[in-house]
Amino acid sequence: MENITQGAVVAVIGICTVFAVLAILWGVLELMRVIFTAKDKKAKAPAPAVATPASATAPVEDDSELIAVLTAAIAASLNQSTYNLKIKSYRRVETAPVWNRTARRDNLNG
Amino acid sequence: MSNLFIDGITSFIQSTGLAKLFTATEGTALAFAGVDFGSIVMLIVACVLIYLAIGKQFEPLLLLPISFGMLLANLPFSNLMHNVLFVGSGEEHFVMSFSDILHKGGLLDLLYLGVKLGIYPSLIFIGIGAMTDFSPLIANPKSLLLGAAAQLGVFVAFFGALFLGFSIMEAMSIGIIGGADGPTAILVTKTLAPKLLPAIAIAAYSYMALIPIIQPPIMKLLTTKKERLVKMDNLRPVSKLERLLFPIIVTIVVGLIVPDAVPLVGCLMLGNLFKESGVAERLSKTVQNELMNIVTIFLGVTVGATASADTFLRAQTLYIVVLGLVAFSISTAGGLLFGKLMYVLTKGKVNPLIGSAGVSAVPMAARVAQTVGQKEDPTNFLLMHAMGPNVAGVIGSAVAAGVFLAMAKVL
Repeated sequence: MENITQGAVVAVIGICTVFAVLAILWGVLELMRVIFTAKDKKAKAPAPAVATPASATAPVEDDSELIAVLTAAIAASLNQSTYNLKIKSYRRVETAPVWNRTARRDNLNG
Repeated sequence: MSNLFIDGITSFIQSTGLAKLFTATEGTALAFAGVDFGSIVMLIVACVLIYLAIGKQFEPLLLLPISFGMLLANLPFSNLMHNVLFVGSGEEHFVMSFSDILHKGGLLDLLYLGVKLGIYPSLIFIGIGAMTDFSPLIANPKSLLLGAAAQLGVFVAFFGALFLGFSIMEAMSIGIIGGADGPTAILVTKTLAPKLLPAIAIAAYSYMALIPIIQPPIMKLLTTKKERLVKMDNLRPVSKLERLLFPIIVTIVVGLIVPDAVPLVGCLMLGNLFKESGVAERLSKTVQNELMNIVTIFLGVTVGATASADTFLRAQTLYIVVLGLVAFSISTAGGLLFGKLMYVLTKGKVNPLIGSAGVSAVPMAARVAQTVGQKEDPTNFLLMHAMGPNVAGVIGSAVAAGVFLAMAKVL
């Protein structure tokens, strides 16, 4: 029984301390946020970015040569005749960053 | 001549482990008719745990060394580990003798000093600190309270253990399983109840592996569909200065209030400062990888090695396993209920699911919150919001451990 009463004291003190410590940290962090966001607002000069609409209209070109290349590549990789394949559409999958492309090229060549 | 030969063979046979298994003296655990069933059962338990680690991938990085350490220590005559040197053989007031350990100890005894002196848990915390990004917490400091609420299970299980007849020190060690933090549990247990160390360490790490199974039913039970559907506002960006100041401030605040938590919180923040400072990248990488891995090996193998038949094969171990589950579940519930309170107070801006991530298993608990949230609404991304309470839980359970250690000194 004595154990239980002692335990109750420990548990109450324990849970209160945990809450108190973390609540104090919360307070300190809020204080930090107030200080820094206030500073940020002052530092923020009005600098509206001028959006330049990119006029990227792709030139219409004859793509039959490209389709022929694609068909041949797919046929080669699937081990099939080009007669079984028909390319309906194609789309460039990615515009990978230059480093990704370099790495890929290195992998292919190396 | 032939006598010498026979004597040689007999003494060799007597020195084998097999001979030891079948000539056990009465009085050792589970020894019947001269057969040492205790060691045999422990070897089987070790093999089952090895299977769980490799076959089922339960926290393999820890369970594998733990289970193999158990295997090593329970081979008769292997002389790698002598628990008697650390916990005595039943004396009322046993005083550990370092001279004995250094003179008589085997490899695992020497490595176990790192556990016994509280070195490994702190070193692991440096690594965890360097791997942890505290910015979700800095951006949303309210989540600190969720990390505190999710320590509820620690204290409930502590009480439960007292009712089951454990001493106060033992109950504290069992309760801390509810903090869901392996190193913290080990630090508290090695100080307060070293005999329970293997059972508590294994329970704590197994439940961490089982989080994705234990938590979701409780989360669904305690929240409504409407609450689970809440989408939270994007977190604000956190500046580098804030991330630098955070570890320093936390160390000072926690250190001044609960000095006994400093070995954990202080080391956690040291590692974090390595990472955030940006000027100590080599140190940060070392503590995250090499140091952490080396210490994990030593910690796992030696904690496993403390599991001997007479301390592990007891009803106590079963109680610990059950109480650990209770502690875990109530911690989850505590976080969720506080999350619901925040949901009400913020008029529906906080998704209560992130409260369950307040148990400190990083990042599993946060991932569970994310998965449960996405089951209701696949476009809802709670992960970063849940990381706040998750890392707060680490601080919370370290503080709870500090409180226990401090109280144990005055009781």
